[in-house]
Amino acid sequence: MVTVRASAPERFLAGQKLERVDSAALQQFRFQNLSDLLAFQTPLVFKNYGGGQISTVSFRGTSPNHTAVLWNGVNVNQPMTGQTDFSGLPALGFDQVSVQYGSGGSAVGSDAVGGSLLLRSLPTYAQQGVRASVGYGEASFQNRQMQASVQFAGRPTPAGQLAGKTTLYNHQFNNRYPYRERGYYFMEPSNAWQRGLMQDFFWRNRRNGQWSLNAWLTDYAVTVAPADTLGRERTRTQGYRLLASYEADRWTVRAGWLRDVLDYAKADFSKPSHSLTDRLLTRLERELVGSWGGESLWQVRVGAEVVHYRTRVDGYGGQLITENRADVYALARYQTGRLTASANFRQGFVMGFNPPPTPSLGIDYTLVQRDRSRLNARASVGRSYRVPTLNERYWKNLGNPDLRPEHGLNAEVGLSARIQPTASWLVTVDGTAYRNRIDDWTYWNPDRGYRVENLQQVLARGLELATTATYTQKHWRVGGRLSYGLTRSSQLRAYDVYAQNIVGKQLPYVPVHTTSAMAYTQYRQWRVTLLTQLQSRRYSTFDNTQYLPGIVLTDLMASAPVRLGGLRLQVQGQVNNLFDALILNVKQNAMPGRNYALNVILTTP
Amino acid sequence: MNQSFLNRNSRPISPVRTAAFPVAMALASALFVTACQTTDPEPSPYEQGVIVLNSGNFTDNNGTLSFVPRNSVTASTNIFQQANNRSLIGGMQGYTEIDGKGVILVDNSTAGQDKVEIVEVGTFKSLATLAAPDIENPRHVVQVAPNKAYISCWGATGDFSNFYPNPGYIAVVDLASRKVVKKITVSKGAERLVANGSEVLVGSDGGEKDLYVVDVTTDEVKQKITLGNNPRPIGLDANGQLWVYSANEMIRMNAQNKTVVNRMRVGNSTAKSPSHITFGPNRQNILFVYSFYDAADGYKQKGETYSFSINDTSIPATTPYINRLFSGLGVDPRDGTIYAGVTPSYKQSGFVLRFNPTTARLIDSVRVEIAPSGFYFR
Repeated sequence: MVTVRASAPERFLAGQKLERVDSAALQQFRFQNLSDLLAFQTPLVFKNYGGGQISTVSFRGTSPNHTAVLWNGVNVNQPMTGQTDFSGLPALGFDQVSVQYGSGGSAVGSDAVGGSLLLRSLPTYAQQGVRASVGYGEASFQNRQMQASVQFAGRPTPAGQLAGKTTLYNHQFNNRYPYRERGYYFMEPSNAWQRGLMQDFFWRNRRNGQWSLNAWLTDYAVTVAPADTLGRERTRTQGYRLLASYEADRWTVRAGWLRDVLDYAKADFSKPSHSLTDRLLTRLERELVGSWGGESLWQVRVGAEVVHYRTRVDGYGGQLITENRADVYALARYQTGRLTASANFRQGFVMGFNPPPTPSLGIDYTLVQRDRSRLNARASVGRSYRVPTLNERYWKNLGNPDLRPEHGLNAEVGLSARIQPTASWLVTVDGTAYRNRIDDWTYWNPDRGYRVENLQQVLARGLELATTATYTQKHWRVGGRLSYGLTRSSQLRAYDVYAQNIVGKQLPYVPVHTTSAMAYTQYRQWRVTLLTQLQSRRYSTFDNTQYLPGIVLTDLMASAPVRLGGLRLQVQGQVNNLFDALILNVKQNAMPGRNYALNVILTTP
Repeated sequence: MNQSFLNRNSRPISPVRTAAFPVAMALASALFVTACQTTDPEPSPYEQGVIVLNSGNFTDNNGTLSFVPRNSVTASTNIFQQANNRSLIGGMQGYTEIDGKGVILVDNSTAGQDKVEIVEVGTFKSLATLAAPDIENPRHVVQVAPNKAYISCWGATGDFSNFYPNPGYIAVVDLASRKVVKKITVSKGAERLVANGSEVLVGSDGGEKDLYVVDVTTDEVKQKITLGNNPRPIGLDANGQLWVYSANEMIRMNAQNKTVVNRMRVGNSTAKSPSHITFGPNRQNILFVYSFYDAADGYKQKGETYSFSINDTSIPATTPYINRLFSGLGVDPRDGTIYAGVTPSYKQSGFVLRFNPTTARLIDSVRVEIAPSGFYFR
């Protein structure tokens, strides 16, 4: 029997685009972070400072806090800033990484305005025994990384079966660049560490119920200008994320504790400005399933979640601030023959003010279904919202407790085709057009001494095209992927006399055109991959008078197996920025030139 | 090719020039080119006009210089980038011209990445770059002798509990060798510099009460005058008297013996404070912006621009000279036209508004770059 597992909100987002990052790519990028991978594989754009420093996302022309990052179904965006540093999301350790495009307010909740990133741990009951792997990577600039993971699944007993995984990683960025500047642009002196532990336990009992216990602990730090004892700045973030769930009989119960700590210090690191936020959450869900005859299947999931916030931040005054938030939702899905439709509704509640209700509707329809080809059409419309961050509400003087939640309305249509002209070939093509209008967009208004206000209205619209081709013949596999994104994201509302220079202009740091290409050749365990991403210029001002030049970044990766007794050794070589292009980050510092990495992964049989 | 000939011709010119001079220079260049028949002289697109200092947005490190011709409402933007195909990479902190060289102070948001660009006057082509540790948080530059500049620097700064852990210093720059030849230790948060014959007056922002006087022949501090919190020299007026601002007071001093002639409180507001203090036309009056952040209105910055005569005995600041808030003020020494910067936000271009000095009426406005905050007239 197939158990319907709870943590899959995307099942209810019919009519929207979902991309699952394939496991080969995750494996290949296991010494890098998810922003490195997603930049080459998706139209997501990152504002990246390099060398272990922060990397924030722009998803379909939106802000970094408009992407919900869900870890096992729970939003893990840092609650003070409402965003996630993608440089701190390792590509290893998650069993499934999916990108959900477009508004997900009804199924995901707050922050899913531009889209969502879904990270999931999954049990592997089928592969019984213990498998371990150890990895070590040595890269240019004296950067190195260690990682270890143990995956296990017990023997099924009458009482049940245990499975789990432990992953440890330690990434040290010394960033000893052999040059002080590139083409007159400074390399920013910095160093960083990223240490993390992920622990998952799953126990499935004989009634087909499943207990899960997931933990993810992180300790990251970035120091800018470390050699300058007066000017150096260190930002240290620590995350504690603990979840316990029980799923059975179409009931899901879940409890979690999330703690985010942020310490910022200049010069003297022993007395940082301190921020700590705890979130205690509990969620209850019930799923109903039925049929209206024939092949039809309907599913309805109703649920409620309560989250208690406790925050103590020096910048808010240092006192304890608590607040409660709650969500109720009903998600419905209907499937019959060629049609899948969904209708969802969510209402959030936040102490003091309430987000708008967020309904959504979506439809998937198979237009053509043949032996070797399939053509699907999809359409959806849905509202989204973003509850203001704690900084936006509580920051001394500048925060605004009366801020309204941002809200968006997203509509999109898409076509996807899958063609297998011969047994060896597989070609996919996908195209999407979207329009997302976001109102009450918050803005730290310089005209009000940077106090935050609901001033702006933004319209993001665009096109996404992607095609993949794979050729498989015996031990050979050749393939590629080409994608293009057109993103026009601009402000609609003139909120002061000078806004006429801003209305209609592309938002800062959102390139209009992004293209990525990937090609690989694989023979057995040998693999060579070439990746390129292109971005058009990124404006750095609202009126588009200044910009950072466009980007062409190419990486080359190769991996080969080595047998060492009973152990399997995989050796991975990498050339980043193959053509030594000069790329500037948003502080106008140069990103590293051509650089190298050599990684070794030892796996038990 | 006789490069020095060209260099002599593109030598700096005093701010007020005779109309005959450019004609003479053009003729000389033309004659030279005809005689030599080799290459065209470098065009000098920025010969006459106003250089606008645009601060930029701090962490974007995108300060720039714009060039505004006196008779045009269109600015040439990012002129350093135009000339050198790279940007300055920092906040725009100061600019002056000394013996054919432009000196640009650049303040980057990352410690250790500040610098001073030395460029060729008129073309803005980079000649040399001074960097950390010689230059850390540069604030102000002034010419003290031929080919010799003083640049006040804060030095490395700390966190907000102790922002000025070090005393400030003056980087003594020899523009012939393009090197920092000495650092003179001065007060914390060294700020504005005013040249006064063979000495330079050094203001500060670090909570100290002394105005420093540096001897430009020995490059040493020769005197400290206690005046009040964070004294900042403004300059010498038409009567040769020295003006210093400190803690809501304008202080008029004898420039020779440094005795205080008069102390005047600026206005009577407890909330507002003066900024962008600038001499008016012919140094007969002083202009300033008088502003505050209104806590009752979302911390919006509010204020006006006032003027007082150098002979006034009080500064009531009740009737505005121009009823507007500006992010920078400058006065064209050629005709007294007032140049005022307007900053809508630090993420979009600002404007320069020109005002008639006698009527205080708006003449026109020019769109420049981010946060216009200073002007250099040539």
